[in-house]
Amino acid sequence: MIWREKRTLLAILGLLLAANAGFFLTYRVQYQSRLDALDARLAQAEGTLEATRQSRLKAEQTLQSYKKVENDVLLVFDEHWSTRARRLTALIAEVKRLAVASSLVPTSYGFSRGDTQEISTVTSGKRRNETLGASEMRISFSVRGTYAQTRRLINLLELSRQFVIIEAISLSAADAETLSLTLQLKTLFRDEQPDAAANRL
Amino acid sequence: MKPIHLNLASRPYRDYRPVYAAVVALSVLTALLMLENIDTYYRYTHETRNTRAKIEKIEAETQQERQREEMSQQRIKGLDLGRLSAQTKYVNAQLSQRAFSWSTLLDELESVLSDDVRILSISPGFTDTRDVTLSLTFQTKSADGMLTTINQMNGDPQFKDPFPSNESQIEGGYQFSLNVLYTPPTLPGGDDGVVRAANKSEVAR
Repeated sequence: MIWREKRTLLAILGLLLAANAGFFLTYRVQYQSRLDALDARLAQAEGTLEATRQSRLKAEQTLQSYKKVENDVLLVFDEHWSTRARRLTALIAEVKRLAVASSLVPTSYGFSRGDTQEISTVTSGKRRNETLGASEMRISFSVRGTYAQTRRLINLLELSRQFVIIEAISLSAADAETLSLTLQLKTLFRDEQPDAAANRL
Repeated sequence: MKPIHLNLASRPYRDYRPVYAAVVALSVLTALLMLENIDTYYRYTHETRNTRAKIEKIEAETQQERQREEMSQQRIKGLDLGRLSAQTKYVNAQLSQRAFSWSTLLDELESVLSDDVRILSISPGFTDTRDVTLSLTFQTKSADGMLTTINQMNGDPQFKDPFPSNESQIEGGYQFSLNVLYTPPTLPGGDDGVVRAANKSEVAR
């Protein structure tokens, strides 16, 4: 009877005690484990940060390497190959100069213009051909001279600052001391179309 | 006779002492626990302040890193990697041809050819590997000039797999053609300006 009369007060006190006991058991008794858990969370956060940082660095390095490759390709297109308007006459003059330097003077030159080169790319699983943005050109000529002179001409062409590829060599004996040498040279020019540069990424 | 019990109290008598004792005990216990809890809470928040601040800072940094990585990935996706890869392959093939040393090849051929064998034509074919396929035409005065040349090439490490395509008798000798794989010597410290390969598989996904 007397307990029932004071039940409200007792209930409030009981609730307060229960709440404090709950807090005490959760925080005070497991105090160290809570600190450990926080340290573990810190370590986990540091691990996540490091992994994310590595992932970001890898992505940036990949991007940088692609940019470098892109720049290298552009350098070859712009500096080594250049456009026909800028390089053609200089190239022909260089070939003639080297022939003279080797004491070999061709009587005739043959020039042929190649088509724009195409490359095969795969986009969204579909293979398609696109223009590369460069075209080939060939120069062929024959000279007569000694073996040493022909070797010198070949060597000078190899050392030339012009982008010249010796595609094929034909030799025949003109007489006991003289050889007839036919050279086929190849070079590349960057296309001048406005979209050529745009195509290059 | 029934005894008479006199109750002169104005209200009913109740002994509340056990209740008050319980209330006091509960109150004291609650107060002690509350003080302990307040102390615990204060110590916990104080002692973990640095750690929690560190965690917050690290999480903010992580978020920034994620955003920067996302930006890089978006930029990579924006690149036409298929085209870049194909261009690189083509450019490298042209640079390899340009770097090919005819002088070295002629020196090598001079060292393997016997005196009665002359070169008539040389036509290289460039492959994806370092090896170059050579189509060679020779002229010789002796009937076994072709066999000698093949044997000499087999003995030279720069040449591999020489194989004849034809031999014919001509005025004053024989003419024969060979196909052979030629391995150009490695230039010291040089990759001949070859553009490093761009390959889609390099993208870490």
